[in-house]
Amino acid sequence: MIVFHIDSRSGIPPYLQIVQQVKHALRLGMIGPGDQLPTIKQVVADVAINPNTVLKAYRDLEREGLVEGRPGVGTFVLRRPDGPPPPLLAQLRRSLDRWLRSAFDAGLDHESIASLFETGLRDALSEEEETA
Amino acid sequence: MNTIALEASSLSRRYGGTWALQECSLSLPTARVVALVGPNGAGKTTLLHLATGLLQPTSGSIHVLGEVPGADPEILGRIGFVAQEMPLYRNFTVAEMLRFGEEMNRTWDRDLAVGRLEKLSIPSSQKVGTLSGGQRAQVSLAIALAKRPELLLLDEPLASLDPLARRDFLAALMESVAEHGVSVVLSSHLVADLERVCDHLVVLRNGHVAVDGDIVGLTRKHRLVSGPRHTGALAGVGEVIDRVDTDRQTVALVRTDGPIMDPTWDVRDVDLEEIVLGYLGGREGSSVAADPLLRTVPPAPSEVRS
Amino acid sequence: MIWVTWRQHRAQAFATLIGLCAIGAFLLITGPRIASAFRELQACPVFPGQDCSSLHEAFDRRFNSLQFVVPLFMVVPLLMGVFLGAPLIAREVEQGTHRLAWTQSVTRGRWAVAKISLVCAFTLLATGLFAWMVSRWSFPLVAASGTRFGFGVFDLRGIVPIAYALFAVALGTATGTLIRKTLPAMAITLGAFVAVRVVVELFLRPRYLATKTISYPFLQESPRSGFGDWVISSRVFDPTGRFSSPDGGITVNPSSLAQACPHISSDPLGPGKDQVGRCLTQLGVKLVDTYQPGSRYWLFQGIESAIFVALAAGLIGLTFWLIRRRIS
Repeated sequence: MIVFHIDSRSGIPPYLQIVQQVKHALRLGMIGPGDQLPTIKQVVADVAINPNTVLKAYRDLEREGLVEGRPGVGTFVLRRPDGPPPPLLAQLRRSLDRWLRSAFDAGLDHESIASLFETGLRDALSEEEETA
Repeated sequence: MNTIALEASSLSRRYGGTWALQECSLSLPTARVVALVGPNGAGKTTLLHLATGLLQPTSGSIHVLGEVPGADPEILGRIGFVAQEMPLYRNFTVAEMLRFGEEMNRTWDRDLAVGRLEKLSIPSSQKVGTLSGGQRAQVSLAIALAKRPELLLLDEPLASLDPLARRDFLAALMESVAEHGVSVVLSSHLVADLERVCDHLVVLRNGHVAVDGDIVGLTRKHRLVSGPRHTGALAGVGEVIDRVDTDRQTVALVRTDGPIMDPTWDVRDVDLEEIVLGYLGGREGSSVAADPLLRTVPPAPSEVRS
Repeated sequence: MIWVTWRQHRAQAFATLIGLCAIGAFLLITGPRIASAFRELQACPVFPGQDCSSLHEAFDRRFNSLQFVVPLFMVVPLLMGVFLGAPLIAREVEQGTHRLAWTQSVTRGRWAVAKISLVCAFTLLATGLFAWMVSRWSFPLVAASGTRFGFGVFDLRGIVPIAYALFAVALGTATGTLIRKTLPAMAITLGAFVAVRVVVELFLRPRYLATKTISYPFLQESPRSGFGDWVISSRVFDPTGRFSSPDGGITVNPSSLAQACPHISSDPLGPGKDQVGRCLTQLGVKLVDTYQPGSRYWLFQGIESAIFVALAAGLIGLTFWLIRRRIS
C-alpha cells in the first residue's frame, strides 16, 4: 500500500502531488495493475488533507485511464502510465534548449527564467483544468 | 436535502456598545470544509455562537441547515459544536464523558466514539482532566462526531495544540468528512494548517465579512505583483486588494480574471495565507486600513465567490 | 439527564448523605438516653411524696449542654443552599461547560428544569429525613421544657426546615446564575439566607396572627402554663408606678414597699415572699403576657413554610429567566 506525502511548501497543488506520487509508484513497480489504491478515508487519515483533494486526484488518474473506480469497493490500477515516445521527448527537449538560449540572450537570469516558466506552467495547468 | 449549511443575512450582534458583528451576509454551501479566519476579536466566536443558538442576533438573521438555530432539540441534534478551549467535565472519565454524550443526544453512534478513541489509545477510565491537550481535543471531537451531525462547527480547535496533535486532529476530522460527508466550519487565527484541509474561505475583519469564497477559485484569481515603486493607482493589474509601497518598490495583492500581461510587473501566485493577510491588511507598511483611496471595499459575496 | 446531573453532583450528594449519617448517628446514640430519662421524669412521682423537682433539675443539668447542638442543626439548610445551590449553575458557566451542555440535543430550558428539579427533590428528601430525625430526638426535651414554639426549637422541627432548605437551594442557584462565579455566589447566599431568616424570625413570625394577652397576679404561675404557648413578651403592669423598672420587670426596695404596704410586718429579716406577693397583688400589680397560643403551632409552621416556599419559587423563576435570556 503506497503512502502519500504532501509538501505544502512546494507550490504544487496537493491533488497534483498525489497524481504524481501514484504515477511514480506505478512507474517504479511499487503497485501494479489490479492493485487497490488506498481509500480516500485511509489517505486523509494519514495525511490530513481534504477528501475532495484525493477524490480529484483519483478522478484525474481515472480520466487518464490509469485507474478505475468501482463504486462501493475502491479504486484499482488498470495499467502503468505511458511515457511519451522517445522521439517526441527529444523534440521537446530541443525546443526547450532553444527557448532557454533565447531567454539567456535576452538577459534574463536564473530566477526570472524559473519564475517565467512557473507562471506559464501554472496558467497552462489552470486552463487545462478549466477545459477538463 | 439542504444545500446551504449556514446562511447569514445582515447579521449583527452587539455587546453593550461594541458591535462584534456588523451586517454580515454569508451563504456557505454544504459538503465543504470552511475556514473561518480572522484576528482575535474579529467576530469568529460570535458568529459560531450565533450559529449554535448560544447567542441571539441583535439584528438580521441566521439560518443553519435551513432552520433557526437553538430553537428546538431537532436542529440542536443536527449540529455538532466544539467551543473554544474545548470544555469538558474535568473529573469525568473518558467513558463517562461519552456516556454524557449518549444521554444528552437523541442519535448517538457509540461504536464510532469508542472506536475512534481506542484507535488513538486514549484509555476510557482516565479522568479527562489528566489527558493531554491533544487527547482532550480528540475526545471533544469524538463527542461532537458521535451524534452524527450534518454540520460541525469548531471554534479554534487547533489553538493550544502542538503540531503533532494538530495534525492528528485534522486527520481525524478529514477521516470523518470522508466517511460521513459532514460539512465543517473551522475557525482559526492561524492559516497555515488550513490550506490543505479547507476548500472554502471566510475572512472576518472587525465584524465584517472581507472574503467569502471557494479556495481554489480564490487562489486562481489572486496574484502577488511586484514592480518599481508606483504612486497613485495601479493600472493593468486588476483590482488591488492590498498594497505596500517602499521607497523603491510596490508590492500588491491583486484580484484579476485573466493573466497579467504588463511586463513591468513580476507576477507570482499566492497561497491562502497571503490572500488572508492581504484582506486583513496585516502586512507591515500595508495601506489597506490606512488609505481610503487605495482600500478595497469588501466585495459582496456574489463578487468574490467563484 | 438524570444520570448526568447525578454524576456531576454526586460528590455533593455523598457529602450530604454522610453528613446526615453523622447527624443520625449522634441522634441515635444520645436519643435513647434522653428518652429514658424523660420517661423516669414522667413516671414521677412513683410513690407519694417523692420529690420530682430535683429530678427535673437533674434532667435539665444533664441535657443542658445539648442546647449547643441546636445552632449547629440550624446551619443544615444553609449548608445545602451554599454547597448544592450556589455551584449548580455558577460552576457550569464559570468553567464554560454550559457551551458543551447546551449544544447537545437538549435545550437549555429542559436542561435547567432537569437539574433544578432533581436538586430540589434531593433537598426535599434529605431535609425531610433530617427534620424527622431531629423532631423525634428532641421530643422529650421539648416536652420537658413545655414549649415547641420558641426560637431555635420551632426552626428545627415540623416542616419548616424543609422550607428553609428549599429556599436556601433556590437562593444559591439564583445567586450563582446571576453572578456566574461560584465562590462569591456562595458567600452572598450565606449572607442573604441569614438576613432573610433573621428578618422573618424576629419581625414577621410574632405577627403572623394577632397576638393574645393574658394577665395574672405577680409571683403566680400563668394560668396558661402547660398550653405550649409562645410567650413573646412578659411585662409588669404597675398602676402605682412605684415598682416597675425600665426593662419591664420590677424592682422592689424596702422603702417603697413600706410606703405602699405599711401593714407589712417589720420582721428584722424582711418581709417574706408571700407577703410581698399579696401586697403587690392588692395594689393591682400584674404580669401581662403577650403570646401566641400553643394551638397555633402547626398553623404557624404552615405560614412560615409557605413564605419560604413562595420565595423559593420566585427565585427559581428568576433563575429560569436568567438562563433563557442572559447567558451565552
